Formats: sequence, structure tokens, C-alpha cells
Amino acid sequence: MSEQLRTYLPILIPLAVIELGLLIAALIHIFTHKHYRFGNRWLWVIIAVLINLIGPILYFVIGRGDADDEGDR
Amino acid sequence: MTSYVSFCKKEVLESWRTYRLVIMLVAFIALGVLSPLLAKLLPDLLSGTDLGNGIILQMPPATALDSWTQYFKNIGQMGVLILVIVFCGVTGTELSKGTLTTILAKGMRRSTVILAKFSVATVIWTLSFVVSLAVTYAYTVYYWGSGPLPHALLAFGSLWVFGVLLIACMVLGGILLSTIYGALVAVAVVVVAGNLVALSPATAPYNPISLAGGTVALLDGSKTTGDFLPAVWISLALILVLLGASVAVFDKKQV
Repeated sequence: MSEQLRTYLPILIPLAVIELGLLIAALIHIFTHKHYRFGNRWLWVIIAVLINLIGPILYFVIGRGDADDEGDR
Repeated sequence: MTSYVSFCKKEVLESWRTYRLVIMLVAFIALGVLSPLLAKLLPDLLSGTDLGNGIILQMPPATALDSWTQYFKNIGQMGVLILVIVFCGVTGTELSKGTLTTILAKGMRRSTVILAKFSVATVIWTLSFVVSLAVTYAYTVYYWGSGPLPHALLAFGSLWVFGVLLIACMVLGGILLSTIYGALVAVAVVVVAGNLVALSPATAPYNPISLAGGTVALLDGSKTTGDFLPAVWISLALILVLLGASVAVFDKKQV
């Protein structure tokens, strides 16, 4: 199995980095901002965590509040 | 011309500030990585599954073609979905917020606004598409070696054309209803209509929907260029019609 795993590593690592990176970026943004276009904090946390790849994207495009909210916690 | 360039610059800056550019690139890199991975994993995962009655499922090892099949499936579905999510506000957002009012009052031509928005969205889509293609290509060569890709230009080009067609739809939809929902409705109408037409297999060579991933059949030789070329020309014509209609509607619209 470890032999097999090694053939996958060059492809698994970049994918994991991208997906985790997006998820963490979305979570940081969710927890440092108070206002969302709709929904509340926990709804977006659940969406970002549960829907692989699309969840964080949905948050950044649809859920994120407008730029004027920047900074208020 | 200068107003076109400056509006394009503003659009690019906005795509950067609203994370659209980064999201598109990151998501399409992920899709590019995902395709060869799925192709490689599936036979290993499924092989040895007991189907009952002592029959053990045997899967042949994956080939480069499996990787490309996954690619066309991923980009044709997930990729297109991400494109729609990211660009559904291409014209609708600014119209609903009213931020275009001052810029138009200062004498910016309305056709310039539409063309600039369309071209920046198309450039970002092109960039993301090429990046995902390069990633999948690199992994496919790494795992399976480079093999012939017959009609590659048409196969990949038509997937790209389909994306541009959706962008043109979203531009018109946003102009018509002045909200992001207009863009979503326009895409839904086109996809549903395309799928209804596709119920009759004879229309497939002319239906833009067959460009959304179907062109992988060119790579394995099961279909010929004649099965897709008419749809490509029809899509290109549709893009021009949609843009022309957007300009015409926008010119008459109260902002």
C-alpha cells in the first residue's frame, strides 16, 4: 500500500494544499467579518466546511459582505 | 479606445479586490489536479470489489484517455458551475447598486461598458482554462507519457467556446433584469433549452450543449470534427447576437 501511496503523493499533496488553503482562507474571512450578504456566521462555516471546493468559493463570491464592512468585527 | 482600456483596468482591479481572479485560478488548478487523480484512483478503488455471487470486479489500469475523460467531465460540469457562480454578477451587480450611473453620465459609451466587462470575464476564463489544461497535461504526461491527442484544438477549443457563450448569456441576463438573478435565469434558460433540444440526437452536431464536455469523443476517435464544428460556429454566432442584444437593450435602459 505504501508503494501505491507514493505514486499518488505528487498529485495528492497539491490538491490537499489547495483545498485546505481555500477552506482556511474562507474560515478566517468568516470569523473576522460580521456582516454577510445573507445568512449568518454558522451557516457559512457549515457551507464552507461541508461542500468541498465549492463551499469556500460560494462564500467568497456570494456570502462575503461588501468591502465597506472591512475591518469591523 | 482609451475609455475601453481604462474601464478594462477598473474591471481587472475589481476582479482582484473581490477575489474573483484568485478564486477562478485556484479552483481551476484544483480541477486540473483532480482529473488525473480521479482517473488514476478509480480503477484501484473499484478493482477487487465483490459484486456478489463470487464475481470480483476487475478494472483495466487507467490510461491517458481516462485522465482526459475526467478532465472534460470536471471542467464541463464543475468548472462551468464555478464560472457561473463567479461571474453571475458581471453586469447585474453594478446595475443593481447603481454604481454605473456617474460613469455613464460622464459620457462613457454603454457599448464600451458591455464590451469591457465581457472581455475581462473572457480573459479570466481563458486564463483559468489554460492553467487547468496545463496542470492536467503535466500530470497526464507524468503518469502515462505523452501520447497523440487527435483534434486537440477543436476538442479543447469548443469547451472554451462554451464557457464564453455562458459569459455572453450572463452579460445579457444581468442587463435585462439588472440583478445577478438575471444572469442565473439566462444561464438556466440556455442550459434547459439546450438539453431539451438534445433529446433529439439528430440535433447534437448543432447543439452548443454538446460542446460542454462531449468533445472528449474526438480524442478517442469515436466522433469526427463534423460532429462538433457546426455547434462551434453556432455558438460563436450566438455570442455575437447576445452581445449585440446586450448593447441594444442597455442603450434603451434607464440607469
